[in-house]
Amino acid sequence: MTETVTFYIDGQAYQVAKGTNLVDAAKMHDIDIPVFCYHPKLKPVGMCRMCLVELGSLSVNRETGEVERDEHGEPVFRWFPRLQTACTQVVTDGLAVRTTTEAVVQGRNSILEFLLTSHPLDCPVCDKGGECPLQNLTMGYGPGESRFLIDDKIRLDKHVPLGELIYLDRERCIQCARCTRFCDEIVGDDVLAFHERGRRLQIVTISDPPFDTKFSGNTTDICPVGALTTADFRFGARPWELQEEATICPHCPVGCNLSAGTRLDRDAGGKKIIKRIMPRQNEWVNEIWICDKGRFGHHHTRAEGRLEQPMLKQNGAWVPIDWPAAYDLVAAKLRQYGDSLGVLAGPSLSNEDLWELRKLAGLVASEPKLGVWPAAMTGGDLVAQVGVGSGTMLRAVGPETAILVIASDFEEEAPIWWLQVKQAADRGAAVVVANARPTKLDRYARAVVRYRYGEAVSVLNGFAAQALKDKSLTGKLSESRVAGLSQLRAALKGVKPAFGDAGRMLLSAENLIIFAGGEGLSVAQHRELMQAAANLLILTGRAGRANSGLVAVWPGANMQGAYDLGYSAEATQALLDTPPRMWIIGAANPVAEDARAARAITGAEFVVATSLFMTPTSEAADLVLPRQSFAEREGTFTNGMRRVQRFYTVQGIIGDSLPDWKIFAAIGERLNGPKARISAGAVMKDITAHVPAYAQASYPRLAQVERQFPLVGGDDLYYGGTAYFNLSGLGLAIPPVAEDGSAQLEVRPVTVDAPASTDADLSLIPVRVLYDRDVLFEPSRLMHHRVPPPSVELNQADAERLGIADGDRVAVEGDGYQITATARVDGRAPAGYALLPVRLSSTPAPTTPAACTVRKIGE
Amino acid sequence: MLAEKYADRIEKIFSKYPDKRSAIMDLLYLAQEEYGWLSGDALEEVAALVDVDPTQAHSIAGFYTMYSEKPKGKYWFQVCTDLPCALRGADDFYQALCEYLGVEDGGTTEDGLFTVEQVMCLAACDRAPMMQCNFHYHENLDLDKVKALVEQLRQEAAAAQGE
Amino acid sequence: MEHILLRDLDIPDIRNFDVYVANGGYEGLKKAVREHTPEEVIQIVLESNLRGRGGAGFPTGRKWSFIPKDAPIKYVVVNADESEPGTFKDRQILEKNPHQLIEGAMIAAYAIQATAVYIYCRGEFWDLAHALEEEIEAARQANLVGDDVLGSGWNCPVYVHLGAGAYICGEESALLNSLQGLLGQPRVRPPFPAQPGGGLYYAPTVVNNVETLANVPWIILNGAAAYKAIGTPESSGVKIFCLSGHVARPGNYELPFGITFRELIFEHGGGIPNGKKLKAILPSGASGPVLPATGEVLDAPLTYESVAALGSTLGSASFILMDEDTDMVWAAAKMTHFFKHESCGKCTPCREGTYWLERIYRRLLRGEGTMRDLELLKSIPRNMQGGVTLCALGEFAANPVLSTVQHFYAEYEEYVRHAEATREARQAAEQMHDYTLGEAGELPEAVGQGGVR
Repeated sequence: MTETVTFYIDGQAYQVAKGTNLVDAAKMHDIDIPVFCYHPKLKPVGMCRMCLVELGSLSVNRETGEVERDEHGEPVFRWFPRLQTACTQVVTDGLAVRTTTEAVVQGRNSILEFLLTSHPLDCPVCDKGGECPLQNLTMGYGPGESRFLIDDKIRLDKHVPLGELIYLDRERCIQCARCTRFCDEIVGDDVLAFHERGRRLQIVTISDPPFDTKFSGNTTDICPVGALTTADFRFGARPWELQEEATICPHCPVGCNLSAGTRLDRDAGGKKIIKRIMPRQNEWVNEIWICDKGRFGHHHTRAEGRLEQPMLKQNGAWVPIDWPAAYDLVAAKLRQYGDSLGVLAGPSLSNEDLWELRKLAGLVASEPKLGVWPAAMTGGDLVAQVGVGSGTMLRAVGPETAILVIASDFEEEAPIWWLQVKQAADRGAAVVVANARPTKLDRYARAVVRYRYGEAVSVLNGFAAQALKDKSLTGKLSESRVAGLSQLRAALKGVKPAFGDAGRMLLSAENLIIFAGGEGLSVAQHRELMQAAANLLILTGRAGRANSGLVAVWPGANMQGAYDLGYSAEATQALLDTPPRMWIIGAANPVAEDARAARAITGAEFVVATSLFMTPTSEAADLVLPRQSFAEREGTFTNGMRRVQRFYTVQGIIGDSLPDWKIFAAIGERLNGPKARISAGAVMKDITAHVPAYAQASYPRLAQVERQFPLVGGDDLYYGGTAYFNLSGLGLAIPPVAEDGSAQLEVRPVTVDAPASTDADLSLIPVRVLYDRDVLFEPSRLMHHRVPPPSVELNQADAERLGIADGDRVAVEGDGYQITATARVDGRAPAGYALLPVRLSSTPAPTTPAACTVRKIGE
Repeated sequence: MLAEKYADRIEKIFSKYPDKRSAIMDLLYLAQEEYGWLSGDALEEVAALVDVDPTQAHSIAGFYTMYSEKPKGKYWFQVCTDLPCALRGADDFYQALCEYLGVEDGGTTEDGLFTVEQVMCLAACDRAPMMQCNFHYHENLDLDKVKALVEQLRQEAAAAQGE
Repeated sequence: MEHILLRDLDIPDIRNFDVYVANGGYEGLKKAVREHTPEEVIQIVLESNLRGRGGAGFPTGRKWSFIPKDAPIKYVVVNADESEPGTFKDRQILEKNPHQLIEGAMIAAYAIQATAVYIYCRGEFWDLAHALEEEIEAARQANLVGDDVLGSGWNCPVYVHLGAGAYICGEESALLNSLQGLLGQPRVRPPFPAQPGGGLYYAPTVVNNVETLANVPWIILNGAAAYKAIGTPESSGVKIFCLSGHVARPGNYELPFGITFRELIFEHGGGIPNGKKLKAILPSGASGPVLPATGEVLDAPLTYESVAALGSTLGSASFILMDEDTDMVWAAAKMTHFFKHESCGKCTPCREGTYWLERIYRRLLRGEGTMRDLELLKSIPRNMQGGVTLCALGEFAANPVLSTVQHFYAEYEEYVRHAEATREARQAAEQMHDYTLGEAGELPEAVGQGGVR
């Protein structure tokens, strides 16, 4: 426990944890010390000097050691003769500060006067106007008029692109370095810097591609003036016209809390649309950061081509039909094919959608096959057993916690987790990265473990064997609650503890978080990986504890929710092995993404798909139903750490589209199912009643908020404009089964199959990249410059053997698929493997490892 | 490429510091020596050597006055016109030098040989007027002395050209 | 009396290793290493009352005593970034008597058990820095620096690091950043360099000026009492005084503290040329307040204390002298231009204040100044003082303005009264090359285009 100390602001005594930054300490007691350069997520630099205060300390009698008091019994303080910056001061016992004296007011006044000398007075046309700390603090503390002659003003470029996404206005910049420090300290991408010095000091980048980081948009949030603006929002609207609506990012398993700035927009026919996306503070999840995909990848919500009516394929042509007809048709087909029904749930279906879809399938099949898409990873059931415990907060973990990231290109797959793990490493957490190839997180890892694709399990088994050999590492294990221990011990007996250093680092820390991706693994192998991870956590007594547990790096926003509600990749596999006669495909695009799935779907008798757009999958369907995007309706996603979070309706409805849950429920009614609920909240009420893990996840509960620190709301004079206060809910973390001390846990030995040797040239490994051509991302045209062309990465030796050079056009072929791509020979691919980024090509390719040949087809 | 051409020198520079990044200043000098100025390509090369983004090399090059991110003359006259030198006639000396070479303040002669600049105190106040030519001191100057120097450098350059 | 620091004046070739050794060189280091514990060395320097010669005058022994004993990595960094206008003393030591600096630095390194010494030379000392490296190599071959110094088992290499043109790097925390390959901007303190987290590579570090360290070998050889006997009780020992500007014999003068302004300027410096009267004195380069050459000032002794009592500072003892014909507004403009050019831009009051002040001086020199401008010259510099800046540069920049306004206000009024500028003043204004105001087109290509190539 940190020591609490007493300090004094303007004569009043307050308590705070020793060592707290003075600006933060004051804010904790609702006292604003104005700042520009200081930011609670960054190290103090004392640059802007706005936070000048008078500092002093309690006057203590040297002989008696007692606090000296005046005639009224009030403590006496000794004051430093000069003003000091509060941001560079930490609170110690007896520290005193005066924030309202004439000297302080004069100091702040003069700093503002200095800052405003060359700052343009273009607030009326500035994107930041209305939510600008400089504007606000000038109103609060600044001089009434300028003593600076306008002719003396320095004139600089006002429209400087720092890249395709962020623009810099050099005149507005006040050289606070928040943007450069964000890039250096938080992200580790040193792509922004100051050039020159003195009054000419200015922000530059010459990185290639420009401003090369996945987190660039955050700099516009923390910029305390209108110097940095986004290409997305620049000149788009005035902040005070916007209505902020709470939502959740639909792109990845992190589940970043977003605030959508919306207004009734002329360009959208007077409909309410999203004008910008900003972070919404949730210190349990994304803190105040989001990645550029989340920030700029919202254009699918109102892109051209959104489906507006149900469409039926008749004699090869699409004809619009009305909803009742569509419901009737699907109900009829379900009656007909109910015993051979396949369900595929896409990664961005809400829990409510998933629940109604499951209920619908249950009306016609006793054991419906509920598959997820993409079906590349599994083990959500194991996450439910040994996921991270209550109180887990990535942003707070330090040396007491070890983090293993295995089989994942973490920054590409879950950018904000990557950011947090990187910072945890900076704070001293032991980060170990295990993958078959280098990834960016290696840079921050205490140890890097390399294995051959398909053998990821052996790494975990090695750690487990090491734990068995060293009793100190399994001390917290309560054996009585674990089934299968003796079998596991027996199975691990022959396993040599490998990667000794990495293992020691991971197991000697008090906590252990395992992030498991699916790179290079079949679904069956991935289940083994997840089981091996669960074994390790249970065996070492880490399961069910705060800041310990298993997290799957799912390829989508709500895959964990799908598992919690009974869906699985194994079901998908079974469906693809024995294709059903009818498919219901919810918000997924398997026909475009996977050749085998495409065959299984096109061969069915009847396919109904809910979709935002006409995709290859909807083209292959018989009936396409227009669904609403996350922006047009309410719902919940369960993130990778099993936090159930609410998103709200933020914009107007497109055409006749409906939320998926409503569609499925209406069809259900026609099959004598229960009456459709009238709201997503009511659906969640059903879920709470039927799914024990979700018993507490009612909408009111999910909407609860608590006071978070730092306070960074847009209208707060303290920091200003950094992110949005979270007024709409921090969500609910579902505790893993292991947290219940009486619950039985099970370990199960997993063995490693040697990868089957094939006659093929190479093994194809699908890998995930952040910026792809996914349905939810492709319509955000301003991001296209970041989406790479289809490519395949080859090892130098393989490339030479095949006569392929970097940049060559190649054909990648295998059982039932062929794609063309650009060859990359950049040293990341291990020999014998071809790395194929998924969702870049318009032709389907395998989503799990497969044999392939690669040949050159042109320069 | 610097890395191949000056492998030994670069190795020696790195050996001075526990952190690679400290070598960035020496390596910028090396690149400037090699290419005459610090182009974007040169910055990229230096950045790659110390394992930082090129932006960082650009930043360092921009902060210090002895690096040039623009091409300059072969000979770089930097005349101190700070107060102590100015009290001893440095301003007039500088003016005369510019007129003699036919360049504006900060300009380069048409033949590309001489760039003339004012700089801040060079710690030679007792020997003003003074200047540096390619970082070498020339002190107690007058126009005649600098004319002689210019002549000598012209011949030097011509001789180098002839080779 | 023989020189303690400028020994090249007594022994012309002392820059050579052999000559230095033949004249008692490195005996101080040998004595320190062989006869004293590190703690004793610190104690001797403490007792000698040697104070920092870079300008701040902080007791050197105390600075050394702050270094935590148990830190595994510790550094001595020599501040040879001599850039203050009017200061050229360290250059003479580096150029003419380099081994005395190396020896002094090694004694300091021994005292704190440093693991390496870095000598940060300003970039313009290009030639002498490269020559210095050769002298260090000579000392290394004689086992005086490097591995197993004098067979003591203590390893301490000495390296030279070149700056590249930035006054601010004379500020110790900016210097450390520069040495680390970061922007040469000052750091937040605490932690101070001596503390963990504050020094070079964030390890405890002593940063000492060249002249300071050059005193140390003599102190070790002759004892603290002998050194303290020179000068005054508070300002002990010898000091190199730099004379420049309007003086008959400009140059460096090594003299004991306590001589008077008059002795320094008229006896040693030969007085003011051309029979002119002395008008004003900058005792500490551009960064200290200017003093009018009154009888009271001229008779004052040169000690840290007495110059402070006069309302200025002895600082690095760099005397820029100005005769009766000197235009004090012009002089203040020159200094303001200097500080604007050298402001690192990190903190607001200095970055904006120096720029603003220069704009006002430009107007005054052009004959376009107003009384309103003079009011600004009184108040803007005040807003740059009183601890509101990150480092002392902002305070320095305010000094020439405030002190000339205080002592020579009539000259300012004259400028405003004569709306017509003199040709000379106008020329001076034009000649203050203004990089700051340059349009973006003047920027390096990459910056002009916002960095996007």
